[in-house]
Amino acid sequence: MLDYYLRLALRRCRQNMPMVLLLVLTMAVGIASCMTATTIFRALSGAPLPGVSPYLYVATMDAREAVDKDNPDYKKPDSLLKLSDAMALVDAHRAAQQVAVAQSLTQFASTDGKKSMQVYGLMAYGPALQMFGVPLRYGRSWTEAEQASRAPVVVIDTQVAQKLFGTDDVVGRSITLGKRSFRVIGVYAPWKPRLQIFNLGQNAGSSLGQDENFFVPAQASLDAGVGPFSSGECGKSSDTPVISFQTAAVSHCRWIETWVRLDTPAAVAAYGQFLVGYANAQHDAGRFAYVPHAKLYGTQDWMAVHHVMPDDVHLNLMLAGGFLLLCLVNVAGLLAARFLRRQGDVAVRRALGASKRAVFVQHLVETGLLGLLGGVLALPLTWLGLWIVRMQPVSYAGAAHFSPGAFVILFALSVAVGLLVGILPAWRICRQPPALQIKLA
Amino acid sequence: MRHIIKPLFRHRMMPLLVVLQVALACAIACNALFLLQQKLVPILTPDGVGHPERLIVASHIVPRGAPWSTGRLYETEQALRAIPGVSSVSVAASLPMESNVRVGGHVFGDGAGTKANAAVYIGDHLAETLGLKLVAGRDFSAAEQAMRYTSIGVNDNGPTIITRALARRLFPDGHVLGRVIRIGDAPDAGRRTVVGVVAHLMRNVMGQDNRSDIDYSMLFPGIPGNWAMPSFAVRTSRAAMAPAVLKAVGTTIQRELGTDLVVGIEPQYQMYAGLREAMLARPKAAVWLLSGVSLIVLLVTVVGVMGLTSYWVQQRTRQIGIRRALGAKRANILRDVQLENLLVVGAGILLGMALAYAINLWLMHHYELTRLPWTYLPYGALLMLLLGQLAVLSPALRAAKVPPVVATRST
Repeated sequence: MLDYYLRLALRRCRQNMPMVLLLVLTMAVGIASCMTATTIFRALSGAPLPGVSPYLYVATMDAREAVDKDNPDYKKPDSLLKLSDAMALVDAHRAAQQVAVAQSLTQFASTDGKKSMQVYGLMAYGPALQMFGVPLRYGRSWTEAEQASRAPVVVIDTQVAQKLFGTDDVVGRSITLGKRSFRVIGVYAPWKPRLQIFNLGQNAGSSLGQDENFFVPAQASLDAGVGPFSSGECGKSSDTPVISFQTAAVSHCRWIETWVRLDTPAAVAAYGQFLVGYANAQHDAGRFAYVPHAKLYGTQDWMAVHHVMPDDVHLNLMLAGGFLLLCLVNVAGLLAARFLRRQGDVAVRRALGASKRAVFVQHLVETGLLGLLGGVLALPLTWLGLWIVRMQPVSYAGAAHFSPGAFVILFALSVAVGLLVGILPAWRICRQPPALQIKLA
Repeated sequence: MRHIIKPLFRHRMMPLLVVLQVALACAIACNALFLLQQKLVPILTPDGVGHPERLIVASHIVPRGAPWSTGRLYETEQALRAIPGVSSVSVAASLPMESNVRVGGHVFGDGAGTKANAAVYIGDHLAETLGLKLVAGRDFSAAEQAMRYTSIGVNDNGPTIITRALARRLFPDGHVLGRVIRIGDAPDAGRRTVVGVVAHLMRNVMGQDNRSDIDYSMLFPGIPGNWAMPSFAVRTSRAAMAPAVLKAVGTTIQRELGTDLVVGIEPQYQMYAGLREAMLARPKAAVWLLSGVSLIVLLVTVVGVMGLTSYWVQQRTRQIGIRRALGAKRANILRDVQLENLLVVGAGILLGMALAYAINLWLMHHYELTRLPWTYLPYGALLMLLLGQLAVLSPALRAAKVPPVVATRST
């Protein structure tokens, strides 16, 4: 029966090509705009570290140690801590896993000084590679003992290994970092969070994560004169700069974030209490100038606070959704007109014994077919839309790529659109009393 | 009128679909056009910079570790000034159209009880180098220009030059020169005495567009101290010399400060026009996108209304024939179809306006958007009505052509 309906539908499509083209094109434009917006949205939503980040939380508190007359209010949660506070939180071992990390941009050189490269990576206190699920290829991460003794060890990714040594397995070799030579103890496959999650307070406007080329114990790195990229918050006294870059003189600054892994809601609640207790104790002891308002933020909440997904993306998605809705109403209207023009044919079919249901299904098959055609046409249009987005000067331009999952969505969307626009017209036509129509015809 | 309204209620589906379509199109187009107008603001607002083809901006000059001393910055400035063809040089904490560094905040008109959010540009010889147009008062004196701050300079007292827009906002009574502006509401906040007013100077915050404060800027003289992100502005005496000077600026800064630059950030030397172009690329792209969307929305609606109306007219060919046979003129039929469209589209517009407003309210609540101004609605309504009439024109003409003889046929 279905293939008969399909043949009928095809035959009818051929009868009025301009109209069919208009219907298909309208649906295609609606579907394509929706697909483009959805692709961007999907690329910028979801877990930045699949399987890991849903359990990660960042500690925030107002840890300012001096009164700031210009900004007495704690308007936005602040994740930057002094190294001493971050170390205290990590060493307390109250969570399943905990690390302190800060972003660093520096230079690696081979020990003979012949090769060098700019690298972007993380200074860490605690088992960062294990917690973030970084895929080690060779060697290992640093031990507690190495960290405590401030041993100059570093874990690098294969890109650095290839660039400096020409091979992947470089465990045991040395790299010059700042004033010292660091021993490579591990090599991992290139790794980056899908979306930016570290130091969001100072990374405003960036959405996509970038390759982290190395992990180094924070204290060993500071000893070698290599600090975080930005000195963070250093207070406002007139003899120290408000901010400085690539300096290891950060003892008076808040520059490092503390991330913890908590697997159950109970653990989250318990750790939240511990955090509040720690912060309040510092305030009571006179170290923190303000009431700390300590709070844990889950990764997604934390990204939402910092608008990692720009508002534009939300607005465009809504715009595209509204546009698709308009296209649906439009096509439904045109289809209704198209079907009702054939009232006579339907009436004859009904009189010959076709049930209402059969007529309904027949017309739905036709609109479903049109929807599919729209989907096929939407494919190049979506590609065009994504190409246009890639040309835009926006931070998420790199995310505008067609993904395999999008094909599935496109197929489902186009069939759904075809059926949805068909329901009203098909219902309308099968409701016509046959006798009257035959008489009119 | 009754013979037009009554059938609309008897055959509800077609008019309802038109109403729905117009309402949706109206809601989408109103909000899209409103967003578009906001994105246009930074593109259309004058930035105040004179002869942009003669201005060079050096930015992203970031020291590794401790910031350079004001003395070191001054020496660099002198070296730049020595380049042949350079007429004026500024070292500044931040510059217009360079949004990586932004200085500013709430400022208060002393004794006027007024408040505004303004950008603050701190640097020496800025008015001259940026080519600002002084409309009242004077430029800073040589002694004022030679000020050196221990910190960036926001909290220090001294003179200031402000834009006309900011002057009007802070001192609505018109007396501006000699008045004092407090930088922040702390008791010991910096106090700046207005010595001059410039026509325009755009602030370098572009994120939230359509802000009335886009032209609220202040200039402080002197060299910012302890500041890790200084920029240099260099004005050439003739536009023709700009390419050569641009190159020389790069080599000079590399020579003077190159050894202390951070790893991984390249200093950027560009013509101001290029900087402006890059800064406005995003709002411009948004303008194209939104105007494209609005156009397609309207086009789709016109086509849809046209399709529905022509079916609707065709359905009633016989009735129209009867009316013609009973003495209705062609003009009557034409007018009736147009009037019917006017009514249906009008209903759609009313619904659409309410929808547009609801959407705007929702967006305002969730995103940093401003209220849709009422003035938009009549324009939007008029546009939709005209488009409705355009869509109905061809079906209406076809209806008017129906000959009376149709009434006698059986189909």
